[in-house]
Amino acid sequence: MIPKLKKNNKHKDTILIALSNDNKKYEINCHENNGLFINKKKMDFIIENNEDGFTYIIWKNKKFPVEILEKKQNKYVVIINGLCYSFSIETPLSYKRKKFLDKSKIEDKVEAVFAPMPGKIIDVLVEPNALIKDGDPILILEAMKMQNEIISNISGKIININVKKDDTVMKDAVLIEIIK
Amino acid sequence: MKINSILIANRGEIAVRIIQTAKKLGIMSFVIKTPKEPNAMYLKMADAVCDFTGNSEGIPEFLDIERIIETAKKYNIDAIHPGYGFLAENPYFAQRCEDEKKIFIGPSADSIYKMGNKTIARQLAAKLKIPLIEGSRGNVPTVADALKEAEKIGYPVILKAASGGGGRGMRIVTKPQDMEKLFNLASAEAEKAFNDATLFLEKYIKNPRHIEFQIIGDKHGNIVHLGERECSIQRKHQKLIEESPSSALNGELRYLMGKEAVKLAKEVKYYSAGTVEFLLDEEKNFYFMEMNTRIQVEHPVTEEITGLDLIEQQIRIAQDKELDFKQKDIKLKGWAIEYRINAEDVQSNFAPYLGTIEKIIFPKGRNIRIDNGIEDGSVITPYFDSMIAKLIITGETREKAIANSVAAIKKFRIKGIKTTIPFCKAVIYNRDFRNGNINTSFIEKQLKKPYYEDPDEKMLAAYFATKDFISNEKLEEETFIDFNRGKVLSPWLMSTRLRN
Repeated sequence: MIPKLKKNNKHKDTILIALSNDNKKYEINCHENNGLFINKKKMDFIIENNEDGFTYIIWKNKKFPVEILEKKQNKYVVIINGLCYSFSIETPLSYKRKKFLDKSKIEDKVEAVFAPMPGKIIDVLVEPNALIKDGDPILILEAMKMQNEIISNISGKIININVKKDDTVMKDAVLIEIIK
Repeated sequence: MKINSILIANRGEIAVRIIQTAKKLGIMSFVIKTPKEPNAMYLKMADAVCDFTGNSEGIPEFLDIERIIETAKKYNIDAIHPGYGFLAENPYFAQRCEDEKKIFIGPSADSIYKMGNKTIARQLAAKLKIPLIEGSRGNVPTVADALKEAEKIGYPVILKAASGGGGRGMRIVTKPQDMEKLFNLASAEAEKAFNDATLFLEKYIKNPRHIEFQIIGDKHGNIVHLGERECSIQRKHQKLIEESPSSALNGELRYLMGKEAVKLAKEVKYYSAGTVEFLLDEEKNFYFMEMNTRIQVEHPVTEEITGLDLIEQQIRIAQDKELDFKQKDIKLKGWAIEYRINAEDVQSNFAPYLGTIEKIIFPKGRNIRIDNGIEDGSVITPYFDSMIAKLIITGETREKAIANSVAAIKKFRIKGIKTTIPFCKAVIYNRDFRNGNINTSFIEKQLKKPYYEDPDEKMLAAYFATKDFISNEKLEEETFIDFNRGKVLSPWLMSTRLRN
């Protein structure tokens, strides 16, 4: 006995919501017969896998080179025309839930300053338990032979310094943690 | 003395550039292989590769003077070309080459020393009555000295590394309270970058243009200038777009500035290619800034409008040949603009973007020149600077060169890393840039956003992500899961199992 593949033709509509990291909402409706709607507007895209090795979306007679840079479950980073956009893909249900959770979430008290670029720590200018203000320099990071003053964008008390002099850090590494 | 072989003490696009001219002249090219990028493009193009991947006692390969000289001796290489950066403006290196009877393709150690030391260069310029920006007479050894000098000149002032260049070790100080902090930062950066923490101080001129003159001289005292380059599009003193000629100069101003550039070069008996940098203020007063005693990143725009090959000229001059042209023979024809393609993230403050280039396609055409050091599969490492290629676009006029740029940049494709291309687009679509209304604070003040974003892009990206998500979901639905074993099973495997 060979089991048959289950065909998924129950739903003629697939509605999903792509939520960008700056909270822009794109409701994408792929209707089996009527085509594609984005935010209720009918769209007509051509996706072309060109023999030059690039994938393009063709839209309004313009070619947009596009690739997926990262994906993790429903989290996507897409690079289009050389720029990055991050989205989480939600079903109408998970989107509602997410909005509800966001509203009821108590503001996180601990925040972190991240490394804006990869590099080497030249000097740490602050000490644990020190009080700092938004705009205060916290350390000096050397990247590509330039020394950059890394400035805190948070005011509060330093509870953790995760780096020391001469450490090498990657982009987005947590440098210090601050309690508001 | 005839040069039959050259050791290129550099990497990336400039190594490739030198190899190309060497090939044209029938000179054998040697390059240095480092463990940091053992598969780089320049290694494949050279005639011979010197392996520096073994122990180096911690000195970066392209700064290891003794090892480079030993290599030249071992393989009996006639000359060394330093490219730009690294040892290009190190007078000690030029001297060591001379001592070991290896031809240094560049100016004399004495010229490098005098012009490389910004304080001496300023004193020479002052002696020749070349206009200078008011500044400290000599170095400012301490914060107290800096404060005293700044008080005399008036704020804002700029601190600069005495042995500096490329924007490192530079800080603008707008009020005395900031002096100590910025002095220490600049000094530490200078120490690190040039092994010399000494600083000097200057009056800071607001909204100037950066205009530089390419000069070229031989060992027989002939020096001519090859016109100017406008390099006002810069971010944190790093040039990003350069052009030649400049829309700010007319024939008369070009004559005046060119004359001063040549005068300064003559004073130090300069030979080889060099650049005299000026600031041009809003009233078209120009001030000598510094001289760079090397071939520069932006040399191609000068080549495009003069028809000369500057690397070839450097090699000819190093062989004691006389220039085969005079000042009156130099005619600037057309317009050239260079766009630096850096592996940087324009959406996150131009942070270096590391990674592997999966695929790259350069535009091609009559008005397009590409100086390039990368190919499919090249890795962007944190060890070297972020510039990976240069796009040089020409046209009969500035308008045409810009129109050609728009077309060319649209055809540039890269996969795997982010580059400064969206920045270049933002600049060429900017009205002020198109009108030639630019100065060194263009990026901060006139450019609303440091990158160009098509209004539909984000929506298209959202759709692309969603589409991929749907096809993944479908794939999952079509795959059976054995919950007891927790493995994903294909229907074929499943059917065998059921049969058994």
